[in-house]
Parts: sequence; C-alpha cells; structure tokens
Amino acid sequence: MIQLTRPSRARLRWAPLALAATIVAGCKGSEPSGNATGEVGGTIVVAMPGDVGTLLPGLVTSIGERELTDLLYDRLAEIGPDLNTLGDKGFTPRLAERWEWAPDSMSIVFHLNPRARWHDGEPVRASDVRFSLNLIKDPAFGSPVAVYVSNIDSISVRDSVTAVAWFRKHTPEEFYDLAYQVVIVPQHVLGNTPAAQLKTADVARRGIGSGRFRLVRWEAGQRLEIVADTANYRGRPKLDRVVFAVSPDFNSAVTRFFAGDADLFDQLRPENIAKLAGDTVRHALRYPNLQYATYAFNLVDPKQPTRPHPIFGEREVRRALTMAIDRHAMLRNVFDTLGVPLYGPFPGSIAVADTTLPQIPYDTTAARALLDSAGWVAGPDGIRVKNGRRLSFGLLSPSSSASRHQYAVLLQAALKKVGAEVRLEETDFATFVAKQNTHAFDTEISLFATDPSVSGFKQTWSTAGISKDGSNFTAYSNPAVDALLDSATATFDPARTRAYARRAFETIIEDAPAVWLYQPPTVMGLARRIHTTNLRADEYWAGMDEWWIPADQRIARDRIGLRPLP
Amino acid sequence: MVTTLTFVLVHLAPGDPISVALDRPGVTDAVRQQWRESFGLDKPLGEQYVRWVANAARGELGYSFSHRRPVRDVLADTLPRTILLAGLSLVLSFFIGIAVGVLQAERPGGARDRWLGRVLLLLYSVPDFWLALIALLAFAYWLPLLPAGGIVDPVMHDYLSAGGRIADRLKHLVLPVLTLTLLSAASIARYQRSALLDVLPSDWMRTALAKGLSWRAAVRQHAVRNALLPTITLAGLWLPALAAGAVFIEKVFSWPGMGLATVNAIGARDYPLVTAGVLAISVLVVLGALLADIAVALVDPRVRLS
Repeated sequence: MIQLTRPSRARLRWAPLALAATIVAGCKGSEPSGNATGEVGGTIVVAMPGDVGTLLPGLVTSIGERELTDLLYDRLAEIGPDLNTLGDKGFTPRLAERWEWAPDSMSIVFHLNPRARWHDGEPVRASDVRFSLNLIKDPAFGSPVAVYVSNIDSISVRDSVTAVAWFRKHTPEEFYDLAYQVVIVPQHVLGNTPAAQLKTADVARRGIGSGRFRLVRWEAGQRLEIVADTANYRGRPKLDRVVFAVSPDFNSAVTRFFAGDADLFDQLRPENIAKLAGDTVRHALRYPNLQYATYAFNLVDPKQPTRPHPIFGEREVRRALTMAIDRHAMLRNVFDTLGVPLYGPFPGSIAVADTTLPQIPYDTTAARALLDSAGWVAGPDGIRVKNGRRLSFGLLSPSSSASRHQYAVLLQAALKKVGAEVRLEETDFATFVAKQNTHAFDTEISLFATDPSVSGFKQTWSTAGISKDGSNFTAYSNPAVDALLDSATATFDPARTRAYARRAFETIIEDAPAVWLYQPPTVMGLARRIHTTNLRADEYWAGMDEWWIPADQRIARDRIGLRPLP
Repeated sequence: MVTTLTFVLVHLAPGDPISVALDRPGVTDAVRQQWRESFGLDKPLGEQYVRWVANAARGELGYSFSHRRPVRDVLADTLPRTILLAGLSLVLSFFIGIAVGVLQAERPGGARDRWLGRVLLLLYSVPDFWLALIALLAFAYWLPLLPAGGIVDPVMHDYLSAGGRIADRLKHLVLPVLTLTLLSAASIARYQRSALLDVLPSDWMRTALAKGLSWRAAVRQHAVRNALLPTITLAGLWLPALAAGAVFIEKVFSWPGMGLATVNAIGARDYPLVTAGVLAISVLVVLGALLADIAVALVDPRVRLS
C-alpha cells in the first residue's frame, strides 16, 4: 500500500472534518440543478477490479457480473429504495407495467409493457418470463439463485404480453422472490442452447437484454462498453455510455481514478479518501451496503464436527471472550471516522435492522471472572488452562483483506489480555473458503453479504444453515432462534416481522456465536461532474440510468455522442 | 513432466474453483455439484488428468472456469500481449545493458564505473512491483504525461486517427516496458561488464593496442564482440523469465497478459488455465534456448563452423 502524497500536518489536522463534509455531502446523491435537468450525454469510465465471465443473469457469481447484468437486463418490477421485501410495497414497474393479485394471493397476473423490446429488436413476450423462471429452476442450468424461487410453482402465458405467476404457498415475500430474483432473459436467444451448456456457451456472453443500456463491446481482460439504448421502452438513459476498464490491482485502479483515466472507483480506502478532501475534480461518495463482518467462533470440533468444540462449545467462554473485545476502539483503529458499528448479525441497511438491541458489554474484569468461573485458570505463562488444555486457538482470515488482517492483529492482542493465545492463520481466499465450508477452523473473521430479505438470515444463523446448503459456518444452533426466524418470514405484518427478528437477534447476541465487528464502509471515488441519484444498499448502480453530466462540465470523452464504433 | 507436476501441485492446494466462484449464501450443494459435473470436476483426479493430456494433444487445453472461455482463447488473447511486453523489454534491456556494461568496463574502477555500478545495484535490488508503482505515480499522477494503465485508452482509442491510435498504443506501452527494461537491463549490464573484464587481458587485445588502436576503439571493436557470447546465451533464458516475471508489471499497469491471467487462475483454482500457462512458459523456455543457439551461431564463427 502506498500513499499518493504526503499531506502536511495542517492538512492532516483538518482532514477528518473535510473528509466528513465531503462524504456527508455525497451521501444523499447530488441533485440536478435547474436548467440542466433532462440533459443527455456523457461517458463514465468505471475502474473494475476484475473481468467478468458471463452476462447471463441466472449464472452471475461476482459483483461485476451482477452490476453489468443489472444494467443490461430488466426485471418485471424493481425493488424500492427502502428494500422492502414484503408484498409489493415500494416496487416500481419495469417490464411489467402493472400487476394484479389473485384474491387468494396464490397467483399474480403481470401485464408486460407492449413497447418493451430486446436489444436485437425482438419484442419481450410473456413466454420470455416463463422461460426465465424455468431456466433458473432447471437443475441442469445450476443457477446460484435457484433456492430463492422454490416457492414459485410456475408461470403460465395468457397472451403474448400477459404472464401469470403461480405460487406453491402464500408467503409475504412471494412477489419479491419473483420480481427481485428472476431477471427476464430472451428465449429466442438462449432457448436453442441446452440449459446445461449455457455456462460455457457464447450466447451467455452476448448480453442481449431489455435494459436501458446495451452491450457494444467486450474485450476480455480490458474493457466492456455499454451504451444508451435509444429505442428503449423506458426511454434512453441520460448517459451515452459506461465503460468498464479492468484494473486488477488496487493501487493501479486508484491511480487510474486520481489520474482522471477513470471516473468511478467503488473501493476507496480511508487513506485515499483523505486525499480527496480538497479535490475540485473528484469527491468521495459513501454508499450503503448489505455487508457485515463478524469474529465467529466455531461451535463444533474441527476434527470431529459431530462433537462440540472443546473451547467454543461452551457459551460462557464465548461470552467472556466477547467481553474482552473493545469493538468500538477497534473500529476506530481500523476505519477511523469511517467505521460503522455492527449491532448484531445484520447490516444497518435492511428493514429489520435494530440498533437498540442490548449488547454484551466490553468489560475485561468481568471477562476474566467469567473465564475463572468456567474453569479456565491462568497458567504459568499467563495463558489459561482447563483440564490440561490451553486456551489457545487459531484465527482464520483471508490474506486478501487488509482490514481483516488489521482486525486479526488487534483481536490477538485483546484476547491475550484475558489469557487467551490466538494463532493467526492467514490463507489465500480459496483455502479460506475451503476451511470455512468444512468447519476446519477455530475462529474466523467472516464477511457476509446478505440479500434484503429476512429469510437470508436463516441460511447463516439457523440450524438448517449448518448443512452443505447453508452458510452457517459457526454451526450455531438454537431451536428458539429457528422458530423466531421462521415466524419472521411467515408473518404478513411488517411490525411483527420486525418484532420476531428482534427477538431472534437478541437471542443470537446473548448466545455469542460471534462478535459483531463492523459494517465495511463502502466509499466510491467519483468525478464531480457526474451527478448521481440515491444509491441503493443492495446495488449502488441501480439508478445509473438516471445519472447525468451537465453539458457545461463535459470533457472530451463525454462529447463522443452515440456514433457507432468505427 | 512439467504439466504433470503442475497438474498435481495445483490440485493438491486446498479449495476448488466451484467453491470459490459460488461462495455466497443461498447456493445449495446440489448447485455446486452440478457445476462440478458441468466442468468435469466430479471425475477422479486420474481421469481428469488423462482427459486433459488427451485433449491437449489435440490442441484443446480445456475450459477456464474463471474466464468462462476456452483456455485456448484466453491464451490467444493474453500470450501475444505478454510476448510483446517481454520481447520489447528484452530488446531494449539488452541494448541498454550491453551499452552500460561497456561504459563501465572501459574504465574499470573509475568514477563512471562506480556511479553506474551504484545505480545498477539500486535497480537490481528494488522489487519490481515497487518500481512499477513509483513509475505509475511519477508519470501518471504526479507528472501526468502517460496513461495509468491498460493497453489503449478505454474510450477514445477507437475514435482517434490511425496515427493517433498508434501513438495511443505506444503511450500505453512506455511505462510497463520501461519498468521491465530497467529491471532486467541492470542484471544484463553486470553480466556484460563481467564478461568484458574477462576478455580484456587477452593477447589479442594487447596486439590490437600495439597496432595503435586506442583503448576505447579496441574495447568496442574487438572486446565487445568476444564478450557478447555469454550475454547472448543469457538472452535466450531471459525471454521466458521476463514473460513469467512480468506478472507484477502486468498487474500494476493493468496489462492483461498471460502472467497476470495465470496468477489470478492460481487464486481461483482454475486448474486448466494454470496448467496451460505453465505449459506456455515451458514452450518459451525451449524457444528461448533455440533462439540463443541461433544467435550465438550468428555471432561466433567458431560455432558456425562446427
């Protein structure tokens, strides 16, 4: 890691204030000013950390693929800015211009916009909607999102612009399951290729969607270019084009942004942000996300997963170690003023987030007392021992994450103060994932990216999530939490959903299967000439088709217009 | 042998490509298994290897999981870029390295030799990624003369005139080639200086001086040619070393070459691409040795005669 410049002491003194002002100014997105409203044109160059592999929505596996497919393809309806997943509240029409619920809510009739066209000019038909669902549900296709559409029984075609979705049971999130998880893809492009071959087929790279941008160029490893679809049924986007320039190294991506070669880089670190405080061309823009990081204890024995972990199987030990960790000090240490505290197993952006939940306090005296009472007494070297076993364990983290590395060191030091010996085990990401999936660790710093739905928590914190199908890597199991999460996802009353979720979170916090460390602060660097809309927590790019550049602030690449490639 | 060893080693590493690619909540084990079947990863390791060898013999190098493209296509894109980078750097570094070596050896122990030696030692010692980052900062940010990365301007390139497009490509080549050249020229200069110092006490040098040639003329006309042989041999080995070692340069300058693709493939456990990348480097080693032999034959009449 290198710094771009060495700031003077005076600048450093004011940097936090300037930094805060810069970020706060950016949080709400900038509003179009007066006569510039409605202006179209301009180019955004996005520094992208890696190339994408596919442009077929049902097969995306990376953030970059998700971003591009979201810009190229439309859904039936778009989730609202508050990310409500219950019923259809907040959803706005996309390919479906309207919809009607059946009286028993077991089916929904979607009326497609008759003007909707694929980028190759073919009309979007109801049969495309049926095809899209069937493709995701097809086991041979192997879609990572298949699990989310299990409640959708089928889609029938009433006529070319009317599709009827049928559900197995009436659930609060049935509309969300269909509208959010099923991206509509063209049957006439994909239908001739067997589902099992779509992972490797060229058609999966063509990106023919119905969104307001269309793909014009993909040079593997270098750049992807999407341009405004001027014939789009929702009207053309305000920008002419978005170019994704592949920049595989963090420092080179940052330099590309600061040198003006790129307009947007969405992974700025605190040291980069301070540099932007007095910048008149670029600024830092903080955007919400759905990620959270925990210091997780493995509750099962790594060598024999059917048995409890010899240290962390005991609830009091987990609580004691949690008490030994000053989360707020660590947050400040690693992220300075950008740190966002975590209050439980959820990011702050979801509808059921609750910052008033009671927490296990930071109290090293109580932590020592609790460990004493649990039979872990200090040995001659200060490390606690119980029945001949030292309070010594590993801390697994991926070497690719700088913040997790910093946290690992801080946690090691904090736990040593109460007589615990922590061995740092940094591995490459593939090894980290392999160990995580097989519960082959003592403790780990894990980063979760949830979806907006409450049901997402069941995969990580319910007993069902311990199986190979879930992501409950700690093997935490509490029947009361299972029941509460089931109730939270079954009720149709948002207030009761929140209440059930709160009780589930409260119980999880009390059981201390993990220490709630932080929400990663996500800050993008953006050229000031680019004006954004509100940035959604699940995908900041959701409104990119409405981003705009005032005519008097455009630079050379903004003025190319929509002329075709030579 | 090389591919067998690579195949075994890369499979011994913990983790698998599908678990890495599908590392997100909600992905069921059935889906992961389906992906493994799609890419033939559910087969026993021995069978996977036999299939790979059989396909490789027909020119099919498998399918890259991380790029979602045939490995052959990935190599077809990335290998020429790496060869361009390494080839240009090889030529430049040998010109510069030999010239600097000669300048040093002309007055061994003199002020010029000592100062150049210090600079060369500095260049020889600095890590390649550090030098690349400093070059990037210096010429793309502090003094914004050159682009910060990539092969061409991602937006404007196609809208430039023919001359402008060539200039754009050259501008994007300058920093990565310069960085790689400086690093390798430092080693070559040291070799060249040493080789020259070995031949300077020769009888034919004394004869040349006795005939009235100046020291500088004797060195440049007679000694340099005789001292070139070990350096030329080195050049053959330098090509694959540059191609494989350009990975940090490729990463820092966002140069989508083969080294970068192979290293990323290791992280993603993209077995076919890693194995093919190593195979390509092995071919370059053989090719480099062949080129060195040809070059030595061209320069040294004794080799040509024999």
